Amino acid sequence: MSYETYLAGEPVIVTAALTGGVHGKEANPAIPETPAEIGAAAAAAEAAGASVVHLHARQDNGERAFPTERFQEVTDEVRSRTEDVIVQHSTGGTGASVETRAQPLRTDPPPEMASLDMGPLNRYDHLTSENTRATVDALHDEMQDRGIKPELELFNDGHINETHQLLERRDLDDPLCATLIFGSGTLTRPRPRNFLNAIDDLPEGTLFNTLGFGPHQLAFATMGILFGGHVRVGLEDNVYYERGEIAESNAQLVERVAGVAETLGRPVATTEQAREILGL
Amino acid sequence: MACPYLAYRREDAEHSFDTDRAYCTAAETFVQPMRADICNDRHELDHTTDCEIYLEADE
Repeated sequence: MSYETYLAGEPVIVTAALTGGVHGKEANPAIPETPAEIGAAAAAAEAAGASVVHLHARQDNGERAFPTERFQEVTDEVRSRTEDVIVQHSTGGTGASVETRAQPLRTDPPPEMASLDMGPLNRYDHLTSENTRATVDALHDEMQDRGIKPELELFNDGHINETHQLLERRDLDDPLCATLIFGSGTLTRPRPRNFLNAIDDLPEGTLFNTLGFGPHQLAFATMGILFGGHVRVGLEDNVYYERGEIAESNAQLVERVAGVAETLGRPVATTEQAREILGL
Repeated sequence: MACPYLAYRREDAEHSFDTDRAYCTAAETFVQPMRADICNDRHELDHTTDCEIYLEADE
């Protein structure tokens, strides 16, 4: 994927990360937390141009929930309210065991995609999301057994090394799908030259999603569009629309990035096109 | 055992919620949902080692 992909006007897949598990309504009251709220947000995001929804589950008070049963409630709501959106479950979970983090893979039907965090990252001052290679392998293997396509989440350049090494340990179906994540802390510093280096270092043929946290969301999505990638936006990653103005909804963020893609000459992928591009 | 600074409330001066949510009485603010797992010592988390707010307040 490259600038030539942009020049060719190939479709852009928009992923909407609707809720996450880190912050909640205390940060932005529009963050959907209950299954019904998440389902409604998915429908609005799909109508605005998203073909993939990245899902976490929460308890009614916003706190993280990992059980299969709660993910089932969420995915049922999403599937009943959307036309044909691609469902992607998170397997992230700071401080949670591998067994706990595998629970979201066990819904019926299973998600078409699931996230796979490719290495450690710091949380707060005394905590690390470890994501050891053994954890990555275990989650990958269950995804493979269940026919779920992994979305590799690369929080920094070291995780690009981990991706190359994973390909030596496991056979992943083409195309490889990776999300490049830029932001503060352990994440790759959000600078354009770091973005360019990262896309050059990915394994040959990798489809990349571009994700900038917080104020970097729109800028990095735009770079992703210009360099032939795909984009992820949503309230999980950014609660603001502009500096000092909180976003009204996930759909508002999707609609804006869809407009950027269209303005730059890349159409927003339909769900059918997204499935074909992702090899689902 | 949950953090002694943890409370569940529906509102403070800036927020109002439909359900009780995790509130840190040391920091005097509602906490992020992920941090609430630390407050409650859920999974493999432990507020006595993982939370800088508890550690500072307990000094």
